[in-house]
Amino acid sequence: MAILEIKNVTKQFGGLTALNDVSFQVEEGEIRGLIGPNGAGKSTMFKNIAGFSIPTKGTIVYQGENIEGKKPHAIAEMGIVRTFQETTLFQELSVFENALVGSHIKGRTDVFSAILGLDKQKQKAAADKVRDVLEFMGLSERQNQLASELPLGSQRALALAIALVSEPKVMLMDEPFAGMNAEETNHMMDLTRKVQESGITVVLVEHDMKAVMGLCHYLTVLNFGQVLAHGTPEDVRNNEKVIEAYLGGTK
Amino acid sequence: MNNTSTLTVQNVVIGVILLAALLAVPHFLKLYHQDLLIYLTINVLAVCSYRLVTLTGEWSLIHAVMMGVGAYTASLLFIHFGLDMWFTLPLAGGVAALVAALLCFPLLRMTQFYFLIGSFAAGEAIRLTWIEFVGVFGGTGGLTGVEPPIFWGIDFIDPIPYYYLSLAIVSFSLFILYRIENSRVGLTLHAIHWKAALAESVGVDAWRYRALAFIVGSFFVGVAGALKVHYLGSVSPNQASIGFMVFILIWVIVGGYNKFYGPIIGVVVLTVFDESIRSFEVMRPAIYGIVLILSILFLPLGLESIPGKIKSWFGVGPAPQDPPLTDQ
Amino acid sequence: MELFLLSIVNGLIQGGFFALFAVGLVLIFGVMGVVNFAHGELVMVGAFTIWLLHAQYGLSYIPAIMVAIVLVTVIGLLMERFLFRPTRADPLAGLICSIGVLFILQVVATLIGGDGPSKQVPPPYQGTLVLFEFLRIPYQRVFSLIISVSALGSLWFFLTRSKFGWALRAVAQDREAAALQGINTNRISIIAIGVGAALAGLAGGLVAPLTNINPHMGHNVIITAFIVTIVGGVGSLSGAVLAAVLYAMFHTFMTVYFGGTVATICGLILMVVVLIVKPTGLMGVRISE
Repeated sequence: MAILEIKNVTKQFGGLTALNDVSFQVEEGEIRGLIGPNGAGKSTMFKNIAGFSIPTKGTIVYQGENIEGKKPHAIAEMGIVRTFQETTLFQELSVFENALVGSHIKGRTDVFSAILGLDKQKQKAAADKVRDVLEFMGLSERQNQLASELPLGSQRALALAIALVSEPKVMLMDEPFAGMNAEETNHMMDLTRKVQESGITVVLVEHDMKAVMGLCHYLTVLNFGQVLAHGTPEDVRNNEKVIEAYLGGTK
Repeated sequence: MNNTSTLTVQNVVIGVILLAALLAVPHFLKLYHQDLLIYLTINVLAVCSYRLVTLTGEWSLIHAVMMGVGAYTASLLFIHFGLDMWFTLPLAGGVAALVAALLCFPLLRMTQFYFLIGSFAAGEAIRLTWIEFVGVFGGTGGLTGVEPPIFWGIDFIDPIPYYYLSLAIVSFSLFILYRIENSRVGLTLHAIHWKAALAESVGVDAWRYRALAFIVGSFFVGVAGALKVHYLGSVSPNQASIGFMVFILIWVIVGGYNKFYGPIIGVVVLTVFDESIRSFEVMRPAIYGIVLILSILFLPLGLESIPGKIKSWFGVGPAPQDPPLTDQ
Repeated sequence: MELFLLSIVNGLIQGGFFALFAVGLVLIFGVMGVVNFAHGELVMVGAFTIWLLHAQYGLSYIPAIMVAIVLVTVIGLLMERFLFRPTRADPLAGLICSIGVLFILQVVATLIGGDGPSKQVPPPYQGTLVLFEFLRIPYQRVFSLIISVSALGSLWFFLTRSKFGWALRAVAQDREAAALQGINTNRISIIAIGVGAALAGLAGGLVAPLTNINPHMGHNVIITAFIVTIVGGVGSLSGAVLAAVLYAMFHTFMTVYFGGTVATICGLILMVVVLIVKPTGLMGVRISE
C-alpha cells in the first residue's frame, strides 16, 4: 500500500516551473530514490512534501490524508520528517541536546510544567529515547561534544539521529551522501539500511546515481521538473532517456 | 547531562555569600545610592526578561515600552481603584503579557530586521498614545502619585525595606526565568535560534515558541515596570523611550547574552561605571557610546566571557563552553 | 480647497527632504546589510554645521552646505571603515555600533552648541513665491525642493548609467554573487555609505533654516526614515522615493487635520500594516526561496 502519493504536483515561482505535473507513489517500508541532474526539481519536491513550500497545483496524500499546504511542524507531527542538505545541525548545542530537540513531539511541555518540574517523567523518557538512538547511530561516546566539533560523517549521522528520535514513519533524506568519501558513504548507506529495517520508509534525494543504485529498491527520475522514468535501479540504469538526460546535463 | 546538579557544596557556599552581600549592601550606602540600588535591582529583571525574548534569536525594540505598559497599568489601578502593590504587580505583568500576545499577530510574521523595525514602530505607537490621550495617561508629564505599600506595619517608602522587597520579587522572577531557560522549553527556544527550519522539521511550532518567549518576557518586564513606579511614584512616556531601550540593549550586549548571568553582569557593571563618570555630565552618553563600540569590536561575547578567556590564556581548563541546557 | 492645495505643495517639499535621507538609509542597508541607527544624527550634524558656520560665523549658505556634506560624508566613511567593516558578519553588531555613534554625535553637538534651547537659522532666501493668491511658498522651500529633486535625479543617473551604479545595485541584490563576479565589495560599500551620508548631510543643510535644530532632532528623522523605507520596500530606492512623497503628503494632511502626534501614530500603524500585508513594500522585489 502506498504510504505517500504525489498527484500531479506543479510548483512555479516567478516565471519558472520547478515541478511540472509530477506524480509518483512511495510504498510503505521501501527505500525510494528520487534522482535527477542538478536543477531537476528534486529538492523542490522535498520541500513541498515536508511543508516548507506549497505546491501551486496538485495534491500530496499521506496515509489517505491531504497534507499539501500544512505547516512543516504539523507534517512532522503526522510522521514525515526531513533531513537537510549539507550539515544542518544546531551547531552550538551538544550532540545530546541536538538529538533531544528531535524528541519534541513526545517530550514537549508547557511553560508551567517546566517551571514546576511536573514533566520529569516525560523528560526522562525522552532522554532514554535519545540515548537509544545515539547508541544505534554509534554516537554515544560523542554525546557531550558540541555538534560543530564532529567530523562530517558523524555530523550526518547526527542529523539522521535528530530525525530518528522524532520516531517518523517516513524519512526524507536530502542528499545524505554529498561531499562524502567512499568510506563515509558506505557507513551512511549502512545506517540508512538500518533505519529502513527498523520499519521506517525512506525517500532520499541524490543527484549521484551511483550512490543510490545499491541502496534503493525503486527509483524515480526527475528531469526539468518532470518525471522522466520510474523503475528498479536495473531498469533505470538501462533506460535510454535517463542516460541521455545525464549525459545531456553535462553539456 | 552529567554533573549538572546545581546543589554542590561550592554552589551553596557561593549562594550564601552572595545573599549575605546582597542583604548587607544597602546598609553601607547613602540614601541616593540606596535609590539607585533599587532601580538597579529592577533593571536586572528588565534585562533578564529581555534575554528570554532574544533566546529565539529575535531582537525586539519594544521591551522598554512593555515595561512602561506595566508601569502605566499599575499607576492607573492604584490611582483609580486604590489597589495596592500586591495586586498591581501581577496585573501589570498580565496586561503587558496581553499586549504582547496581541502584538504577536502582526509582529511575529516578521523576523530579523523586519521584526526589529516592526517592534520599534509598535512601541512608538503605544508611547505616542500615552502622549496623545492626556485625559487617561497624563500626556508628556505622565501619571504621578503612585505609592509603595504599607504591610506588616512596615512602610515601604523607606529605601531599605523596598530594596529587600524588590530583591525578593526580582529573585523569585529570575528563578522562574532560569527554570524556563533550563527546561525543554528553553532548549526548544535555543533550537529555534540556531536553526528554525531544522526545529520545525521535527515538529516544533516556531511561531508558538517565539510568541511564548515574547509574552513571558513581557510579563516579567511589566512586573518590573510596576515595581519601579511604586517606588519612583510616577511614570512618563519618556521613561519608555528608545533611549531606555538602547540602555537595555547595551546592558545585555556588554554583559554577554549567551549566558543567563551575562546581562546581570552587564547591568551591574555599567551602572557602577555610570555612577563613576557622573561628574562628566553631558559627556556621559558619549562615554557610553564608546564603551558600547569597544565592547562590540573587542569583546563580542561580553564581559561574561572574560574569565574563560583568561583561563584559556593561562592554559588552565578548557576553552569556555556553553552550559548544558537541560537539567536531568 | 486652498488648504488642500497648500498641503499638497508642502507635502511635496517635505517628501523631497524625506527621500534624501531615506534613500541613504536604503543604500546603506541594501549594500552593507546594516541598519544605520545613527542616520538621523548624520542629518542633525548637517543641520548643526549650517547653524555653526552660516548663522554663527557668517559663512554663506551654499559653501556651508558644501562643508556639511563633506563633514558628514567623512563621518560616514569612518563608520564604514572602523565599525561596519569589522562587524560585517553580524548585522546586529553593526546596528549596535551605529547606536554608539548616535550617542557620540549627540554629545558632540551638545558640546558645540551648548545645552540651551533649540537653535534657529534665519532663512538665507527671503521672500515668497506667489503662484496664486492663496498659494504662497517661501523661496527657501522652493530652493529645498529644487535641490533635493536634482540630487535625487543625479543619484538615479549615477545608479542607472555609471559602472559604479551598476556594481552597487548588483551588490545590493546579492553580495556573494557580486563578489564572485569580481566586484570589489569593500569599494562598493564605501561608495554606498559615502553617497548615503552625503545625502544625509545635504538633507541636514536644507532643513536647517526650516526647523528647530537640537542634538536630538535625529530621533524623528530616523522614525520617518524607517516608515518610508518599510512602506517603500526595503532595498528599493525608487520605492523609497515614492514612499517618501506619499508619506510626506499623508503626514502633512494628518498634521493639518489631527495634529502631529496622531499623524505619527497613524504613520507607524500604516508601517506595521504594510509589514503584515506586503512585507516587500510598494516596490520591493520578493526574494525567491
